[in-house]
Amino acid sequence: MTTKFMNRSVQAHPFHLVEASPWPIAVSFSLLVVTLSGVMTFQGYSNGLFLLTLGFISLVSTMTLWFKDISREGTFQGHHTFAVQKGLSLGFVLFVISEIFFFISIFWAFFHSSLAPTVELGAHWPPAGIETLNPWEVPLLNTVILLSSGATVTYAHHSLIQGNRAGVIYGLIATVALAAVFTGFQAFEYYNAPFTFSDGVYGSTFYMATGFHGIHVIVGTIFLTVGLFRVLSYHLTDHHHLGFEQAILYWHFVDVVCSLGPGALRAPGSKEWARFAGPSLDLLLASPKAAFIAIQEVREPWFPRLNRFNSIGRKVFED
Amino acid sequence: MSESADVKLTTAGFDARCWQNYVDYFKCINARGEDFAPCKQFYRAYHSLCPNEWIEKWDTQREEGTNPSNFEV
Repeated sequence: MTTKFMNRSVQAHPFHLVEASPWPIAVSFSLLVVTLSGVMTFQGYSNGLFLLTLGFISLVSTMTLWFKDISREGTFQGHHTFAVQKGLSLGFVLFVISEIFFFISIFWAFFHSSLAPTVELGAHWPPAGIETLNPWEVPLLNTVILLSSGATVTYAHHSLIQGNRAGVIYGLIATVALAAVFTGFQAFEYYNAPFTFSDGVYGSTFYMATGFHGIHVIVGTIFLTVGLFRVLSYHLTDHHHLGFEQAILYWHFVDVVCSLGPGALRAPGSKEWARFAGPSLDLLLASPKAAFIAIQEVREPWFPRLNRFNSIGRKVFED
Repeated sequence: MSESADVKLTTAGFDARCWQNYVDYFKCINARGEDFAPCKQFYRAYHSLCPNEWIEKWDTQREEGTNPSNFEV
């Protein structure tokens, strides 16, 4: 049976061909202003900070309007079919992977300078004259706070999948509250730190790592807050809540950096590092056998049951 | 051979051996006094390994108290 009528208002594919929008070019231009004015500020050119503020406001506004459009297209216009969702998920995962590599480069820079400190620093880490922060005080507290926020956000996600509206809302409020407390403590640490960004390679690596991590925490908090508002406005369903899942993935990424970060960054050179890392790297390189013996001695009081493997090691290093 | 065998420096180049001997000489005389003869070995080693500019710079830093290296044993 044929029909004379063709429905031309329905697309014959599951993909989203977007309408013309000014937001991509607007965001690009804002980013250009932010980067150029950032450089102007660092190099001491006049009006740099003013332009940076303008650029930043412009960036946040244009990004908000772009994401608002995406949210409208998905929630109210039905453009986010399953195929489109897969594309959005993949795109976001690739973005998070790129952010992981960004942090890898920051950690690399830190380990490069801290594991083999130069003679100008006195060949030890922390460098001479630097008064370090105690990793077991505020840093440990902040790590615990962020890990807890990872648990609350997981609770919120499971609640959403189960259709428990109250659970989602309380879980998200708890997550955002923990994130705010973390940011507050971090600001306190920054205000009271005995060293600045300009204090040699120690200051540089410390503030690059913690600074960029802090920016990511703030961005992640905003992302989660938007999720909370969308939940309150009934945008999300128990099966379709991509933006929310992406916010959670971003938050876990921030979380992991903050769990590894304090441990790795504040430890080298400290007594704790010496105790747990055992022999120093140079001893390991110079004499693996001496290093093996030293590892045994360090390990013995902490993991006595591993001593049964000592005979294997002795055979490997038999003279 | 004008330097002692130090396992930490087997993989190190001139810079590290120069600096290590400089520090070891001053550690030696701080611990045993200026007239202790074996300290001379470190003195000869760092004078042969280090650029004179570095020796002058480190000596000036030591006099001003700004040398970051630890000269106490």
